[in-house]
Amino acid sequence: MKDEIFGYSVNPELEKLRARRRFIAQAATGTVITALGAAYFLSDDLTREAKAQTRKDGRPRLPPGQRVLERLKPMGGQPGDPSPGNFKLRVHGEVEQPFEVGFAELLKLPQAKLALDVHCVTGWTVLGAKFEGVLLKTLAEKAKLKPKARFVIFEAAHGYTANISLKDALKPEVMVAHRLDGEPLSRAHGAPVRNIVPDFYFWKSAKWLTGIRFVEHDEPGYWETRGYNNHADPWREERYS
Amino acid sequence: MVELHSPQQKRPFKLRPWIRAIHRDAGYIVVGLTIVYALSGLAVNHIADWDPNFHQVEQTHKIAGPFPENDQAAAAHVLKAFGITEKPTDIYRASPDRLDITLEHRTLHLDAKAAQVFEEGQKPRFFLRLANWLHLNRGKKAWSYVADTYAVILLYLAISGLFMIPGKKGLLGRGLVIALFGASVPIGYVILSGGGP
Repeated sequence: MKDEIFGYSVNPELEKLRARRRFIAQAATGTVITALGAAYFLSDDLTREAKAQTRKDGRPRLPPGQRVLERLKPMGGQPGDPSPGNFKLRVHGEVEQPFEVGFAELLKLPQAKLALDVHCVTGWTVLGAKFEGVLLKTLAEKAKLKPKARFVIFEAAHGYTANISLKDALKPEVMVAHRLDGEPLSRAHGAPVRNIVPDFYFWKSAKWLTGIRFVEHDEPGYWETRGYNNHADPWREERYS
Repeated sequence: MVELHSPQQKRPFKLRPWIRAIHRDAGYIVVGLTIVYALSGLAVNHIADWDPNFHQVEQTHKIAGPFPENDQAAAAHVLKAFGITEKPTDIYRASPDRLDITLEHRTLHLDAKAAQVFEEGQKPRFFLRLANWLHLNRGKKAWSYVADTYAVILLYLAISGLFMIPGKKGLLGRGLVIALFGASVPIGYVILSGGGP
């Protein structure tokens, strides 16, 4: 059946097909524009500025595949006891003088304030987060490492562990932190104490820290035994094993 | 005269009705688990954008002194100032100017020198936290059996689903095309993203 509009004959079936075609074309155009807009939005100023910066070691400040956030995001995990009164940090393993410190004792050890970049495996980075605490090097010196100690296992609540090499652990920015951005570490970030290993993906920085164990042989930790990379270098995008 | 089937005469065995019946009942069994896993999956997939387990609280409040030297009395002073009647689980003086008052879902950190309290805490999101706890399966050996069984049932549902509909809407026609399209999504992603491991 044919209709007439302004003297022209129109096939309704054909017109229906044309309308559908127009709708699909417009929907596809809208989708592309939205996707491009989202891509532009995601490439924000902070990320663009960080991409233009270079670290002292020559590496770009922002590892590949990361975008910059202003504050640390809580990334979950099974919370430990947040009470400083119940906190005990055990430093043990291949050491001459294993020891345990409570929260007040930890505060009496030499303190460090460092602005550190941290990189989460999920793709966000925070630049210059201000952590306060005790350098791991200080704790290692207090415990007097045995020559055969080659790796460090961070032990945390509910059996969580993370492993790094001793060489990486003794770098001057690796620390045990109890303050973030001028305030006591919050529960969401592992109160009362977590370790910070800034040059590796953030799962190496265990929240609700309970122990530091020096070992001779490497022991892949919680995420490392669940498909994540054992080394976890953000600049090499070592996310998965 | 009507000829009736004798009771001894067996009907020919047909596989498809069995597949459909088992598919239906297995589907009913895993409805609850599917909802738990799907919602938890969505929540955890976007964990970098929000915390699916907790509402976060972080606030700094001014507080009037002077503060009693006794820890219990100082804590009582702080709690009274904020109208908190909950009994602390721990009161701890980490340094002369710092008193930490731990409550069930929050901690009040008194900085006596600055006359301010930093309040931080987490309020659990009940359903999602429970769902994530099940989904992430951290150290729950017994739950692994449930999760494994669920995975096997899902495999059955997926495979049996292919054979449920006969004819051109089934595996010999439209069903095959749609199934191949579905399979092409993960395969296409791996290829376009530069390959897997």
